[in-house]
Amino acid sequence: MDEDFAYSLNNIAQLGGHEDRAWHVAWNPEKALLASCSADKSVRLFTYSHDGEGSLKFSLSTTIPTGHLKTVRSVAWSPSGKTLATASFDSNIGIWERETSEDGDGKPGEWECASLLEGHETECKSIAYSSTGTLLASCSRDKTVWVWEVQPDSDFECMGVLMEHTQDVKCVAWHPTEELLASGSYDDTIKLYIDDPQDDWFCCATLSGHESTVWSLSWSPNGKYLASASDDRTVRIWRRVGEYEFKCVLILDGHDRTVFSVSWGKGRAGKSDSEEDKESLGWIASAGGDGTIRIWEVSESPASEVPLAKMIVRLPEAHGVHDINSVVWCPRKGYEDLLATSGDDGLVTIWKIQN
Amino acid sequence: MAFSGALTLTDLNDFITPSQACIKPVEQVLPKKEENQSGAASNEIKIDNGSYYEIVDDSASITGRRKLEQAQISLNDCLACSGCITSAESVLITLQSHVEVLDFLSSNAVASPESRKVAVISIAPQSLASLAASISSSSSSSTPVTTLQILHRLRACCKEALGFAHVFDTTFARHVALREHVKEFVERQEKHCMKNQGEDGTALPMLASACPGWICYAEKAHPEMIPFIATTKSPQQVMGTLVKDWMGQKWGKSPNEIYHVSVMPCYDKKLEASRTDFYNEMYSTRDLDCVITTAEMQLLAQEKGWDLSLPVPGEVIGPPLDATLEEALLPELIQHPGSSSGSYLHSIIDYLKVNSPLPLSLSVKQVRNADYEEYVLREEGGPNEEPRVVFKGAKCYGFRNLQNVVRKVGKDSGVRVGIGAAGRLKGKAGVVKRGKRGTEDKSYDYIEVMACPSGCVNGGGQLKPPANFEDSEGFSRDWEESGVSMDSIPAAKWGNKEWTKRVENAYWHSLPTPPPSPGRENHMTHSGKRRR
Repeated sequence: MDEDFAYSLNNIAQLGGHEDRAWHVAWNPEKALLASCSADKSVRLFTYSHDGEGSLKFSLSTTIPTGHLKTVRSVAWSPSGKTLATASFDSNIGIWERETSEDGDGKPGEWECASLLEGHETECKSIAYSSTGTLLASCSRDKTVWVWEVQPDSDFECMGVLMEHTQDVKCVAWHPTEELLASGSYDDTIKLYIDDPQDDWFCCATLSGHESTVWSLSWSPNGKYLASASDDRTVRIWRRVGEYEFKCVLILDGHDRTVFSVSWGKGRAGKSDSEEDKESLGWIASAGGDGTIRIWEVSESPASEVPLAKMIVRLPEAHGVHDINSVVWCPRKGYEDLLATSGDDGLVTIWKIQN
Repeated sequence: MAFSGALTLTDLNDFITPSQACIKPVEQVLPKKEENQSGAASNEIKIDNGSYYEIVDDSASITGRRKLEQAQISLNDCLACSGCITSAESVLITLQSHVEVLDFLSSNAVASPESRKVAVISIAPQSLASLAASISSSSSSSTPVTTLQILHRLRACCKEALGFAHVFDTTFARHVALREHVKEFVERQEKHCMKNQGEDGTALPMLASACPGWICYAEKAHPEMIPFIATTKSPQQVMGTLVKDWMGQKWGKSPNEIYHVSVMPCYDKKLEASRTDFYNEMYSTRDLDCVITTAEMQLLAQEKGWDLSLPVPGEVIGPPLDATLEEALLPELIQHPGSSSGSYLHSIIDYLKVNSPLPLSLSVKQVRNADYEEYVLREEGGPNEEPRVVFKGAKCYGFRNLQNVVRKVGKDSGVRVGIGAAGRLKGKAGVVKRGKRGTEDKSYDYIEVMACPSGCVNGGGQLKPPANFEDSEGFSRDWEESGVSMDSIPAAKWGNKEWTKRVENAYWHSLPTPPPSPGRENHMTHSGKRRR
């Protein structure tokens, strides 16, 4: 019954150690470092490098006990790769930096909490750095989205508290180049926010269409599309048709249960398997409650506003019988074919897509 | 007029969204032997024989569990939170509504002379401004209605149609509150300089105490801010004392023989009035029996068929010849230059300027927008001296700026901000960074904190802008047409900015000549005995 797919997804590393479900993973954009977080309140950092035979080896670098009082729900790296942010159900956000060793040998020291951002009233669900690293967004079960400005010396200033959603806000995602923020919520909508230079941040658009909770958002690498994953078992693709106008142009279905996570990777630039007149938009990976990882190759043609999505991988039981909580493409050049997933089994799994 | 006068449960808070969990912390005295933060990494709770135990997973605890105290929740806590709604709060809410006022007035009218109460209503100047702006924009006349006219129209309405005996505005009470506020600031500063830190009432910056939204938020979410908050009563509560004690004495009435209603731009003022601090146990009465919002005041007038857009005799020229009791008792509509949220910061600045031996120059810097401004007073030194910063204050309005106030004050003063994981975080987070920014970056001495963006003129209890309100360029904006979905406009939440500007203008428009603000007098000679 398995269809024939052009690509295969190979498990190249299985990283254990979390004592409870693994919620989220984040690839460091600059260094060979992967962060994972868990209900066990810890963050684990893994390094990776090629061994003598040319295959990629992953190993635990360090564990940060964080000190959060509850689940660490999500992690995010700053674009510089020097700062890690943790969002916890204890309502706080931790900002982590590696201290420089005191004996002056230049060796980096321990990961230390450089700042603690309080403000959310209850469970913080997701955090994200803007493309330039000057802004940090967070969202919470308290229905709010906060925008923080990153200042020198690990200082932060609150720039906006956006009370637009009517329910729990599940995720935030920044546009890859602009200061445009998207959030997804239990109220089934996606909201977009921009800064009014004379005033505060405000909601500039609301995208309705999903029939249930929006769990995850991912912008296309070129910034022209937004992908959203939902409890309605679909992934929707929204095309930017005006400055702050978006239109749902494609619905990817196939998942049997809630789609908890979606990630839009670069794919292999310029190497679209489709016809000549089509331009590749990269790969969309999605996963969730049905335990299956699905990957679509997405391309667009100048003639149509609807992009073409072709499923290239469907891998069931990626974390056994367990839910998959997150799926994230590696953003680093040369490693765009790496995918990390985390599951209720507490494992972080690294996959390589190959044809 | 598109406004809804009905108080709904979702309107309860002026700015804090309803939370889903009860936020009332359990006030539990921790046993002494808690140095290694037991429970910090655990949050498992077991129920045993009807008691609740927190499971502690470190070796410091012998039993491995700690009995938890029962949370004590009062109606006031719930009114402040609106996270969960029970029928009990609904009762408290109906006790603070215009329906309650109508019920009282109708039963008071038929009560026997000896049990009849004196009904008094006190109206905030921001509420007058809201009504003035609303009536001006809906009438065809090009001359805007002033707050003085509105006060006189409301006075006529409240006396003739509703049955109030006296109608006041709250600006004289504010005058008293401002004097007290300035005095408290000077006292704090003196104690602070004498390095009596740690003693009560010495912490600087002093934070304004008049906004109940801010007070409520600080008490729930940032108790470490409480020592910084001034102890001065708000104008509403000063008015409560003036009416029930001072005027009551003049009238030969005890506090419980007076029924006092206030009209406020803010829902949280209802909460302020129902605090136990303002309950008189001897007479079983509150300083304010009922607080209604501007919108509810308008509803009261409407329900009595009173048209506030129609003038009343003598409204423009001031008090009629047969001056009523209230004009004889209190001056009307005293203006306090500064902010439309009470001029707390300006009163202090004025006081410092007047009482400084050397001339002081004031500079104002907008930090991000008009809701966050810094005010610095410098002492002009000799020709070769740099001006010395003698005072640094700020006005910070809106929930967002409030966050930054809490962070900044916490950092500058070294108090631990918040609870939760902070105690466990190592390294830099707990260390206060001092002196790294040079001397010019003096920390604040005073902050006028208000929870609403644009302050009290934009309070949650104010009238909504008229449906087809035009912006300053004279265009009525059709947001839907410009491709913006209406429910996403911040104005939907916080009121139209242009509209707020209109209310602000109405607030300052054609007021009587202001008397000197409190700071202009030398309070040391006036104050007589010191308060503490």
